Amino acid sequence: MPTGEKNRISGWVIDYLGLIGVLLLMVLVFSWKTEYFWTMGNLTNIANKIPENTVVAVGMTFVLIIGGIDLSVGAVCALVGMVTGVAAVNGNLPVPVAMLLGLMTGVFCGLINGMISERWRIPSFIVTLGMLEIARGSELLISNSESLHIGANIEYWGEAIPGIGITPAFFVAALLVILAQIVLTKTVYGRYMLAIGDNEEAVRLSGIRSTPVKVGVFAFCGFTAALAGLMKTCQTGTADPNIGEGLELDAIAAVVIGGTSLMGGRGSVLKSFLGVLIIAVLDSGLVQMLTPDAVKRIVTGSAIVLAVILDGYRQQFSVKNLFAKQLGS
Amino acid sequence: MRIDLYALRVRPSLWLLCLSLFLVGCGGEGEQSADHAGQTGKPRIALVMKSLANEFFSTMASGAEAHQSQHSDQYELLVNGIKNEKDVTRQIQLVEEMMVQQVDAIVIAPADSKSLINVCRRAIESGIVVINIDNKLDAEVLQEQGVQIPFVGPDNKAGARKVGEYLAAQLKAEDEVALLEGISTAYNAQQRKAGFEEAINTASLNLVASQSADWEMDRANKVAADIMTRQPELKAFFCSNDSMALGALAAVRTAGKLGQVQIVGFDNIKAAREAILAGDILATADQHGDQLAVYGIEYALQVIKEGAKPSDKETPVDLITKASFTEKQANEKQAVE
Repeated sequence: MPTGEKNRISGWVIDYLGLIGVLLLMVLVFSWKTEYFWTMGNLTNIANKIPENTVVAVGMTFVLIIGGIDLSVGAVCALVGMVTGVAAVNGNLPVPVAMLLGLMTGVFCGLINGMISERWRIPSFIVTLGMLEIARGSELLISNSESLHIGANIEYWGEAIPGIGITPAFFVAALLVILAQIVLTKTVYGRYMLAIGDNEEAVRLSGIRSTPVKVGVFAFCGFTAALAGLMKTCQTGTADPNIGEGLELDAIAAVVIGGTSLMGGRGSVLKSFLGVLIIAVLDSGLVQMLTPDAVKRIVTGSAIVLAVILDGYRQQFSVKNLFAKQLGS
Repeated sequence: MRIDLYALRVRPSLWLLCLSLFLVGCGGEGEQSADHAGQTGKPRIALVMKSLANEFFSTMASGAEAHQSQHSDQYELLVNGIKNEKDVTRQIQLVEEMMVQQVDAIVIAPADSKSLINVCRRAIESGIVVINIDNKLDAEVLQEQGVQIPFVGPDNKAGARKVGEYLAAQLKAEDEVALLEGISTAYNAQQRKAGFEEAINTASLNLVASQSADWEMDRANKVAADIMTRQPELKAFFCSNDSMALGALAAVRTAGKLGQVQIVGFDNIKAAREAILAGDILATADQHGDQLAVYGIEYALQVIKEGAKPSDKETPVDLITKASFTEKQANEKQAVE
């Protein structure tokens, strides 16, 4: 058994090395090929670009681990921004209160997603697809499809910290990644999540109630979508009805590159973060190489598909591993 | 056995390494010349567009590229676009990327008239000249943020008024007319509607319907058919773009009212040319789409060179009728002779 433990650890190291290696290689190539990639300005730029995708990717990682999916994050993100905007501008509420209302809206949407999919045993794909339309529709309704300028008192939260040049959003995202990774790997709740994704029936038969865990995960995902919505709104000082379109796909792409299984039962928040970084670096580098937009999309698309191919390899490997163990015993 | 399994684990990551190297390599090849030119000291101008999958914006961008290749000794051009019209976040990121690259000027067609102002202000503060084209930034928010960003572009209202007056001249007072609007939140849709309305009021026409057909041909076809059913005495459609004019034309043709119901459009797109030559669409407006970005770039160059305090600049909108094509052909013939 100790050797097994050791194998698992070295396996993880190799996994991380793969992602970190790809990241370093890209940084190296872009720094060599372009003039401005390896500059303080660009590095802070990348740091300020990733928080929204990062927080949503954290929530999405949890949802994918329990074998679900959340397609509504982009729309919820826009709804949260708009609720905040309407509360602050039309409702004359202080900005922090408005932001709190926004956060609660996000958690509420997530709760509804989880509860409906659990109560009626509907695949989360369908429920969250419905929520996507509902959230987007409500948001367009309350905004009258127009962007709403909130102003300096919300921009204040999105301003770069003097001297560092990095926005508070980055630190919020980093903190969330660390906390979520701890929850996933060091707590009972995290164990339950992995177990549910692996074999929900077995978890239930062991006398553990899976419903609260799953609903909690969806609520958390709604919370992360809300955080992203607030970050975007603080950045521009404007509640924009069109933000977050395609955010769900960006997040899923990052999570999948990070090796989290779409079938559930396996995943890592830290690796999802590396996935976000890889996409951001790839994107920034390609822009600086003046790559036409169409080519950028081909390259990013290839990276995602490649990641899923790798995902398949790992799964194959784990099955083989299982047989090897059985044969061995 | 165990070694085998390890090999399986390592190999995929190696593939990923190789493939990304390959992709990065591919992306790099064609662009090296541009990279080298970075050190020549010519002004570098970034064009930040909306979706380049939209013909209107790709025409604008290729017009700019053509202009740059004719004036390659004067400036460098970096063209960027976003995936879809509404991808505001992405466009903000593009402006930030351009700031990192320390371009001298950014010519931007903002995806939203308010959300982009914050990042444009930061660009200006870092010493970059910012010129607004296509979609005018919101005046109130600009004032609140304490920035001035010059708008270089056509006066859609005046253009629509011109087209509207041409049509009104063919009608009598109290004739029933209808207006097909673009997407109601878009600034240019509002401007065109206002221009048409001025023409309609001045000529004392009777505006019996004013509806949005979302800039689309198919939608305009249905809306126009509905309006004609309800208002059999209708004499004309004022359409806020040519696609909708073509849609209205199809509806008029189906209703067998060709010649009884007049149509005007806006934009002078190629697809509408035949209908204009046939007289089925009476008139349209040409805002010189391929030159819209070029006007912005030329103005940016002027500001960089002369350090002039930037102010709004109006670009021409021309009335296009059947006669303008025959005139043009006559001119070309003369030139040949």
